[in-house]
Amino acid sequence: MKREILAYRRPDGSVGVRNYVLILPIDDISNAVAEAVEKVVNGTLAIPHPYGRLQFGKDLELFFKTLIGTGLNPNVAAVVVIGVEPKWTCMVAEEIAKSGKLVEAFWVEGFGQLRTIEKAARTAVKFVEDATNLRREIADLSELIVSLKCGESDTTSGLGANRVVGRFTERFLEMGGTVLFGETTELTGAEHILIQRIKSEQERQKFIRMFDEYQQLVKSQDVDLLGSQPTQGNIAGGLSTIEEKALGNLQKIGNAMVDGVLEPAERPPAKGLYFMNTSSAAAEAVTLFAAAGAAIHLFPTGQGNPIGNPIVPVIKITANPKTAQCMSEHIDVDVSDLLQLKISLDEATDRLFSRVVETACGRFVKAEILNHREFVPTKLYPSA
Amino acid sequence: MVDFLVHRNGDHVGVAVRDIKKGEHVFGKTVDGQFSYELDAVQDIPLGHKIALRDIQKGEKVIEYGEIIGAATDNIAKGAHVHVHNIRSLRWG
Repeated sequence: MKREILAYRRPDGSVGVRNYVLILPIDDISNAVAEAVEKVVNGTLAIPHPYGRLQFGKDLELFFKTLIGTGLNPNVAAVVVIGVEPKWTCMVAEEIAKSGKLVEAFWVEGFGQLRTIEKAARTAVKFVEDATNLRREIADLSELIVSLKCGESDTTSGLGANRVVGRFTERFLEMGGTVLFGETTELTGAEHILIQRIKSEQERQKFIRMFDEYQQLVKSQDVDLLGSQPTQGNIAGGLSTIEEKALGNLQKIGNAMVDGVLEPAERPPAKGLYFMNTSSAAAEAVTLFAAAGAAIHLFPTGQGNPIGNPIVPVIKITANPKTAQCMSEHIDVDVSDLLQLKISLDEATDRLFSRVVETACGRFVKAEILNHREFVPTKLYPSA
Repeated sequence: MVDFLVHRNGDHVGVAVRDIKKGEHVFGKTVDGQFSYELDAVQDIPLGHKIALRDIQKGEKVIEYGEIIGAATDNIAKGAHVHVHNIRSLRWG
């Protein structure tokens, strides 16, 4: 299989497949400035979000980690950071700047919105000139971090699309790649299998602690999760229980062994396969993987979930023949012939592999073409 | 052509890979193509939904992927539709 790609090498050694000039708001009330800069400077991308004020403790830590990680993502060339006040804004900018990337911070207090827009826009113009002058270079696919998360799954996911991603994962790890997966609650019923796959006792205990925490949270709400887990879409597609959904979910890592267990948005310490403690909501999980450095995301779907991410191409794979047809503008890789056993698992995986290489070299995925830019930082608890 | 697939030989359920109509005589295989099955569908089974490969008693644990996916809340006949109306998760209850 061809594994050479043309990609962007960043000053910190990471390899990216896109080249964004990011306009990063630190708080909800700075979205307006970020979006105004995006409007007047071609080639920039603002990622508005509803958070950043009065968060505290672990929730605030995760929020910062998510913003900084997003700026550090290898698909980003330069970052204009905009906040309401200078302290948090400069802190985030300084953390991103450690990577050697072009970064500058602006804040609204003391200047007002219009002057801030002008200053930030002038910097953004320079950043776009520099970023668009960077060239793709030869790299190996295995230099990338790839993340996995499925959504609007149905039974065709466990039978088809997730198994294809699983075989891809086995191959990609064999060539020295790095893979992230998560979805802590959606492992309920398959956790015993995952626990056996985790290489070290220390990491195994870490996973068990994370898993038990989520179980306690679910139990503490004292509600029937049917309809939320599995979702109404899952049920329509034939999934009956969380156990069945979890067993299908786990197909995404094939028979691979897990090297380590990460906190939300934590960057993998080395190459290999890593579990990350994430929500199972698609946009939240993909946002956390992107903050940990994922350059490409693989998203198997059954009933058809349109999710994208502002900075990471999300490749949609389905084995459901109805979805492949009725939602074709969302589907990048159709493996529905696998359900009829018309092709082998390896042949279906070749199809995905080629698309990953093409995507890495610059081919747009459907979610990018359809303007899906879901940036959803995970909120752990209410703000102060 | 197969009408349904089975994750692992010994599973209590298969998954329809096309819309199956009540009364049809249907054929299935395991995903690795190693084992074959045939039976009569006693209910409609939409694409992606499960068909019972044998009689399942109320209260019995239901096996798919060679693992427990829940328990039967009713007696389920071979060839019947298996879903949220007759099986239930054993978690979070």
